[in-house]
Formats: sequence, structure tokens, C-alpha cells
Amino acid sequence: MYEIQNLKRRYGDGFTLDIPSLAIEKGKAYGFVGPNGSGKSTLLRILASLDEPDGGRVLFHAETAQPREPSRQSKQQDRALVTMLLQEPYLLKRSVFENIAYGLRVRGIRRSLRSRVHEALMMVGLEPHTFSHRKWSELSGGEAQRVALAARLILTPEVLILDEPTASVDRVSAQLIRETIRTIRHAHNTTLLIASHDTTWLHGVCDEILKMQEGRIVGSGEENIFTGPWLPAPDGLWEMNLSDGQRIRALPPSEMIPHLTENAVALLDSTSIIVTTERPDHVSAQNILSGMLAHLYTFKHSERVKLDIQVAELPMTCNITRAAARSLGLLPGLDVWVVFKASSLSWQWVEIGIGE
Amino acid sequence: MDYIAEGFITALKLLARGDPETYSAFFTTLRVSSISILASMVMGIPLGFALGYYSFPGKRQIRAVVDTLLALPTVVVGLFVYALVTRRGPLGILGLLFTIPGIAVAQTILILPIVISLTATAVSNLDVRFRRTVSTLGAGSKRTALTAIYESRFGVLAAAVTAYGRVIGEVGVSMMIGGNIKWHTRTITTAIALETGKGQFAMGIALGLVLLLLAFVVNWILQIVRRVR
Repeated sequence: MYEIQNLKRRYGDGFTLDIPSLAIEKGKAYGFVGPNGSGKSTLLRILASLDEPDGGRVLFHAETAQPREPSRQSKQQDRALVTMLLQEPYLLKRSVFENIAYGLRVRGIRRSLRSRVHEALMMVGLEPHTFSHRKWSELSGGEAQRVALAARLILTPEVLILDEPTASVDRVSAQLIRETIRTIRHAHNTTLLIASHDTTWLHGVCDEILKMQEGRIVGSGEENIFTGPWLPAPDGLWEMNLSDGQRIRALPPSEMIPHLTENAVALLDSTSIIVTTERPDHVSAQNILSGMLAHLYTFKHSERVKLDIQVAELPMTCNITRAAARSLGLLPGLDVWVVFKASSLSWQWVEIGIGE
Repeated sequence: MDYIAEGFITALKLLARGDPETYSAFFTTLRVSSISILASMVMGIPLGFALGYYSFPGKRQIRAVVDTLLALPTVVVGLFVYALVTRRGPLGILGLLFTIPGIAVAQTILILPIVISLTATAVSNLDVRFRRTVSTLGAGSKRTALTAIYESRFGVLAAAVTAYGRVIGEVGVSMMIGGNIKWHTRTITTAIALETGKGQFAMGIALGLVLLLLAFVVNWILQIVRRVR
């Protein structure tokens, strides 16, 4: 659907979005996670033709024989096929009905407006007869979010981009939104691009999760990201100090550049972590950290259980089997030990940024 | 103090029995203010929209000039237009002096900065998310501009009401350009000034009441429009 080549977008405060290469396949659902300011929204805005890159190219319909070069005209055409729900949705100063019908009117569609608007309202769990005539000012934050989503769903876009779609809605609404976009995706083979802090929600929707950090895609899947600062230890390993005195130890990167030490980012796959309820003895692993189990998630069609464990100030994600979780008697609030090898950490973009 | 109370009673009688002089001033005011408000909106809304919506070199300077003109004294406008439309003036050939179109031209100049400035403020105060939102829904630049005007409609209406308030209440322009000619260019305000000078409080109060009623009706219509939309 999209092919990104050497994409760069700079902002005055020193932030740079830098994506050397990324391919987004048609019909797949991608989740983007990362801390605030990691570049998720910037990337999504560029893909929605709302923002311009400073360098590189974004090809739309990259899988076809004639991918569209970025141009003013092509961007206008793309806007008919791509729609985005912004992080803080804005409703036009008119009724709910007119807000939802706006995109169709822009496209010159006048037929069966009423039934389509009602259908869109039902998709987001709002009763059409109660809500369609309400003014924009008569909605709660969550209702406004759902109306904004309905205004995008009614367009049955090829690409639906959602920036924090569940940020201001309750859990029931979040679940409803998830089911709705799943339905839309399967009915219309819609490509989904979603940025969210709610990784559990994202895993229920997306095929692939991309982690972003300081403007770069640093990994995919359930990796833990350790941004340092990293310091070399006397025994040759690298260490990252946590606020409670514990340390994370990693093998040094193969090509080490001294002045970039602190900027190094290490990734740890969530399946490489062993969780125990008692401190393990006689293990060769360099990292044995104490923490507290904060959340435990199970998934409908999966044998895996996801654990959120708080280790000092660091939230860590681990993936274990249901059987292991049962045998350990894991419950939120329980003190646990997190064990992993120094060699399980991999380094990302340590060399990138020379001269920047 | 009795003369004020008597003035009120006589005023109500004048209005009730349809005093032709009072109603002549009323209809002249209505005519001239309607022409000037329409002309100022036709010119002022597009100009105000352009000033508030687009970015261009010199925008801030133009805005400063327009905002300064908000405080334009009516007699200065009267003087300026008089100089133009008097027989010796460059537009003397049009014969606008002491006519209703003449007053309307001067009043339009008087309220044009109000319509431009308040429309520009309404448009530039649109939520920062507005353009991105309509863009995500597929709107091109023309459609976005039209939607922006519609989104700022309450501000534009407020601009029109403010301008109308200024135009029906002004004396200087009507007096200087219209000449306060009975049955012809005498407006409510010039009539009040004249009748008060003559000591005819009843007529003045009657016309004052009509003026207040007119302002009330305009604001009332605005409230209804806001509620309906």
C-alpha cells in the first residue's frame, strides 16, 4: 500500500523523524507504539497527506504498476482513499448527522445519506435516533470521539489511520471501537494504521506492532526498549542503572563508538524473559531483577499470557504460556523476579546519527 | 421633570396614531441602513475572510490599519465623503450629496472596517484542528475555505449586528451627507438631534423608542438564528 524510502521530517526543537525504509502491505493492520514524542503522530500525518516530509519519498499504492509519486494532485486524490482520525477529534459546528455526512457530501454522494449515517452511528454504538440530530456541543468527549470515528467509517476508506482512538473513551467503548474496525477491515480489506499507548488493545486489532523511539522505528513485536544511558562496566559488559540500584547488563555492541554510548538503545524480546516468584539461584543469566506484576492479560485465541512487570521505574513486558502463569500462581500485585541473559539484548541504531 | 414623563406619553401617542413625520424618519433610517449593511457585508465578508484565513506578506500591517479604522469618527467619514461628492469634488457628477445613496455610501465606508475586522477575527479564531479535520474527510482547498466561512458564521453574524448597531445610531454622516431634509433624508438620529434642539422632547423620545426597538429586534433575530442552528 505504502512504500517509504529515506523519509525525514524535522522540527525546530531538534526532533527528527527518520525512517530509512518501511513497506506497508494492503489489507494489513499495523500498530505503532512508543512514548510521547516518538514520532508516531508525525508519521501517520505524513501517510495521511496532512504533513510534508522534508526528505525521502512516500509512495502510495506501491503494490500497483503505477505507484503515485507525491504531488499536490496525487495527495488530493489520496485523501479520497485515506482518512485519519486525529488524536483530539474536532467536530464541525453542526449536527451529528451533518458531521458524519460531511465526507460523503465532499465526494458528491447524496444518495441514501440518512441510512448510511444511521448505519455508521450504530457501528460506533450510538443510537441513531437519539444522536443524529444532536448538536456538536451536546456530546461528551467519548461520544464526540465516536462520532468522529463514524465520520471516517462511513467513507469506507482504503486506508484508515487512527491516532490514539481510545485515548478518551471508556473500556466498553474501546472494545466496541476495536470490534467495529475489525469488522470494517474484514468487510472492505481496509489497511489499518493505528497509534496507541494501549498495547493490549492494539494486539487485539493489529497484525504487526512497530515500536517507535525518538523518530525511528526501533523494533517490532513485543520487545522491551531500554534507552539507557548505558555505561561500560569494568568487566567489559554495558550497564544501565535503575533508580532502585538494580542494573541491566548487556553484551557491548560489536562496533562501539564511544561518544554515542549514552544514545544506544537495547531491545529485549518479551519471550526471552523468564519470570519466577522466588529468587533463582545458580543461574548463569546476568540479569536477575526484582519487580512487581502490574497487569496480566490473556487473549481469546492465544495460549500466551502477557505480563506487565514494573521493575523500578521501568515497565517491562513479558510473554509466557498460560500453563506457566497458572503454575506460578501469578496475580497482579505479586512480587516477581525477571531473569534474562546479557546476550538476549540486541542493539539498535547505535551507529546511526554520526555527524548529526 | 414633568416634561420627560409628558414626552413619553406624547411619544406613545405619536407612535400609536402613526405620525407621518416620525414614520418617515423611521423608514428612511431603515432604507439607508439596509443598503449600507448589505453593501458592507458583500464587500466586507470576503475581505475579512481573506484577511483571517490566508497568510500573505503585509497581512499584519493591513490588519493593524483595519483595526485602527474601527475607531473612525463619523464626522471624519462625513467630511471625507462630502469632499468627494460635493459639486466641486471628483465624484460631484454623481449627484450623491443630500441623497439616500450618498448617506449609504458614507455609512458603508464607516462600517466596512467593522465587518472586515470582526469577520477576520472569527475566521482566524477557528480551531487549529479545523483544517486538518476537513482535510482528513477529503475536502480540497476550495471546500475547506467554504466550510471555514460556514464554521465562523456566528462570528460573521455578530460582525453584521455590531455594524448595524453602529449604522443606525450614527448622526455625523447622515447629517453632513444627507442634510437632514424633512420627508427626504431625515433619519431617526438626525431628527432626534433636531427635535431636541427645538425643545420637542416628545418627538425625540418617540424616535428614540423606535431606535431602541429596532436594535432590540435585530438582536432578537440574531438570538433566534443562533438557537435554530
